[in-house]
Amino acid sequence: MTFRDLVAGSTGNLWRMKLRSFLTISGVVIAIAAFVSMLSFGAGMQKNVTEQYNRLGLFSTMQVYPPDKSKPADSVGRPAILDREALRKLAAVPGVQLAYPFDAFSVTVTVGDTTLSSTAQSLPEAAIQTKFYSQTVAGTLFTGDSANQALVTEDLMTALHIKNPDSLVGQRIIVSAKLSSLDSGVAHVFRGMPDRLRERFQQIRRDSLEYVEYWSRLGRQEANAALSRFMDGFLNARSVVCDTLTISGVLEGRPHGRASIKPIVIPAGRAARFRAGGFSDDPTELLASLRSGTLFGSTDDARGKEYPHITLSLDPNVAYEPIRDSVKAMGFRTFSYAEEFKEIRKFFFYFKLGLSVVGLIALVTASLGIVNTMVMSIIERTREIGILKSLGAEERDIRVLFLAESGMIGSIGAAAGIVFGWLITRVAAVIARAFMEKEGIPRFELFDLPLWLILTAFLFGLLVSLVAGLYPAARAARVDPVEALRNE
Amino acid sequence: MNVWLKASGLCRHYRRGPQEVRAVDNFDLEMRRGEFLALVGSSGSGKSTLLNMLAGLDTPTAGTIEIEGTALSTMNRRELAAYRAHRVGMVFQAFNLIPHQTALRNVEMALFFNRTPVKDRRSRAIEILERLGLSGRIDHRPGDLSGGEQQRVAIARALVKKPDILFADEPTGNLDRENAAQIATLMSQLNREGLTVVVATHDLHMMQEHAHRIVRMDYGRFAGETVLPAGIGAGS
Repeated sequence: MTFRDLVAGSTGNLWRMKLRSFLTISGVVIAIAAFVSMLSFGAGMQKNVTEQYNRLGLFSTMQVYPPDKSKPADSVGRPAILDREALRKLAAVPGVQLAYPFDAFSVTVTVGDTTLSSTAQSLPEAAIQTKFYSQTVAGTLFTGDSANQALVTEDLMTALHIKNPDSLVGQRIIVSAKLSSLDSGVAHVFRGMPDRLRERFQQIRRDSLEYVEYWSRLGRQEANAALSRFMDGFLNARSVVCDTLTISGVLEGRPHGRASIKPIVIPAGRAARFRAGGFSDDPTELLASLRSGTLFGSTDDARGKEYPHITLSLDPNVAYEPIRDSVKAMGFRTFSYAEEFKEIRKFFFYFKLGLSVVGLIALVTASLGIVNTMVMSIIERTREIGILKSLGAEERDIRVLFLAESGMIGSIGAAAGIVFGWLITRVAAVIARAFMEKEGIPRFELFDLPLWLILTAFLFGLLVSLVAGLYPAARAARVDPVEALRNE
Repeated sequence: MNVWLKASGLCRHYRRGPQEVRAVDNFDLEMRRGEFLALVGSSGSGKSTLLNMLAGLDTPTAGTIEIEGTALSTMNRRELAAYRAHRVGMVFQAFNLIPHQTALRNVEMALFFNRTPVKDRRSRAIEILERLGLSGRIDHRPGDLSGGEQQRVAIARALVKKPDILFADEPTGNLDRENAAQIATLMSQLNREGLTVVVATHDLHMMQEHAHRIVRMDYGRFAGETVLPAGIGAGS
C-alpha cells in the first residue's frame, strides 16, 4: 500500500462519515486553536521584551555598582569606590567600548510659562549616541558635549501637559540648580556682623571680665554661633546656577527601573557648571565626601566624587562574562542585562509551558474524541477489515490504515486549528489595541505566531492524534478475519 | 501429477460454551494443480472452515496443510498474509465487496497488498472486469449491481492478482438459477485455463457438470468422494 493509497483511503473514509468526522475534527481545531492562541500570547510577550532589549542595546550594556557595604572589604581592607579613577579603569577593560557615570541632580525647569521641579542627568555625547539613549520620539540628539541643548523625556512632556512632542522641539528650557558653596556659608557668618558685635558688647558683663572662665565661655558661645550661621548659610542660602538651553529632541519615556532616564538630559560639558565648585545636596554623597576627606576639593576629580553607578557599553561581539568577571575582580557589583535576559527567558519558558499545558489538556480531551470515533469506525468496518485481510493485508497494513485515518483527523484539525487560533489572536489584538489607545498605553503587539509555533502546533496535533489512534489501530489489526466475515 | 496441496489429519475444534465443536475433524485431502474440486455437504458440515484453513485465514488446531511441500503452520503471520496476497483468491457467498467503493476500486484493492506496481493496478483491474463482462459497471458501487454482477466483481477481485488457487465458498448461494449457472460456467472456464479451483457448495447438481472431483463432508469429516468421468481427475 502506498502513501497515496493511505491518504486517499483515509480522506475517503472521513468524507463518508461527514458529521462524525466534522465533530471530531472540530474538537482538535478548538484544542489547537487554544494551544496556538495561548502560546502566541507568550511568544508575543517574549518577542516584545527581546525587541525592547535589542532596540535599547541592553544585551551589550552592563551597569556597575559600588560594593555591597554590608559585606567585608577586599583583602587590603579598602572598599572599592566608583570614582573617576574607577571610571578610567572600567573604560580600559577589554571589550568595554564606553564607560560613563550616572550623574543626576535636582533642578528647577521653566518651559514657556510653566515652572516645575525635576531631575536632570548629565551625559557625555558618546553615551547619548548609544542605543540605550538614542530613542527619540521627536527632534534630534544634542550635537556636542558643550552644546547649548537639552533633551527631555516624554515624562517631562506629561508633567508639562504637552501632548505633541514635536511642539517641544526648539523651545527654550531654563534650567536652574541651587549649589551649596563655602562662600555662602562664610558670607552667612559675616552677614550682620556689626549689629551682632554691638549687641554682644552690650551683653558683656564687665565685672566678670577678670575671670578666665567667663572669657572661655564667651569664646565657645561665639564659635558655636558662627558655626551655626555657617551651616545655615551653606545649606540654606545656596547660590543658584541658571542656564538657558534649547530642547533638541524628546526621548521616549521609560518605566522606572535600571533603564530609566531622568526627565532632562544635559550634555556633560554643559552640565559641569551645575556641579563645579558646589557640594552635593544629596546627604549621602555629602557624607561620603566628608568621610573620604575630599569635601573641599575643587573638582569632581580632586574631590573623589562617588557615582551611584557607572554604565558600560560593551562590544556586542564580545561575551559579557569575562568583562563581568574583570569588573567583579575590581571589587564592584555588576548588573548585566544579558544575564537578566537569561532569567527572563527562563521565566518565559515556564510561562509558555504553563500555557501549553492548558492547550494540551484541551488536546487530550479532543484525543478522546478521536479514540471514540476510531473505535466506532472499527466496529462499523469489521467486515471491511476481514475482507482486507482475506486479500492479503498484514496486521501492519491494517494498523497503518487506521493510524493514517487518525493522523488525517489530527492533520486537518491542526491545520484548521492554527488558522482559527491565528484568527482569535487577531481579534484579541484589535480589542487590546483599542483598550491600549483608550487607556493611553503605548501600543504594542500582544501576539506573535512564529514558524516554530506553527510547526509545533501542527506536530502536536498530529502526534496526539496518532497516539489516540494507537489503541483503535491495534484493535483493528487484531480483528480475526474469519470472525469478521462470519459476523456479516 | 504432483500433489500441489496436501492436508493431513486436519482438525479445527473450538469450544462454544460447555461444548466442544469439531468443525473439521481429522480431514485428509490432496489436490493437484489445475484440478476443479467441489466440496459438498450440508450447512454446518465444515466446508467453510476447511476453506478458511486452506486459504490461510484460519489456523487448524491439529494436522498440517502443505502447499507445494511447504507447511502453512511453519509460516508466520506475515508469510501467511503474503500467501493470501499472492497465491490465493477467495470468493464468498455474501460477495464481501466493500460497499462504498466502486467495482473498479474493489478489484484494484486486491493488488494493494501484493506489491503490484501502482501504474499497473488500474489497467489490470479494468482488464479483468472487462473480461468478466463488467466493462459497463466499472464505476458502479456494489449496491447498484445485481447479485450475479456483484459475484463476478468478487471473482474479478480474486483473479486480478493471478492466484494459484481459487477458493469459492458457496459462490452461487445467493444467486438465482440463471446467475448461479453463469458463475459455475465461469469457474469451469477459468479452470480450463489452468486455475485450480475449490468450490464449497451444497448444490451438488450444479457442480457435477464442471468439477473433476466431488468430496463430501459430514460433521467435519471426510464422507467420501466421487471422481467424475470428465476432467483431469478422471484418469487418476
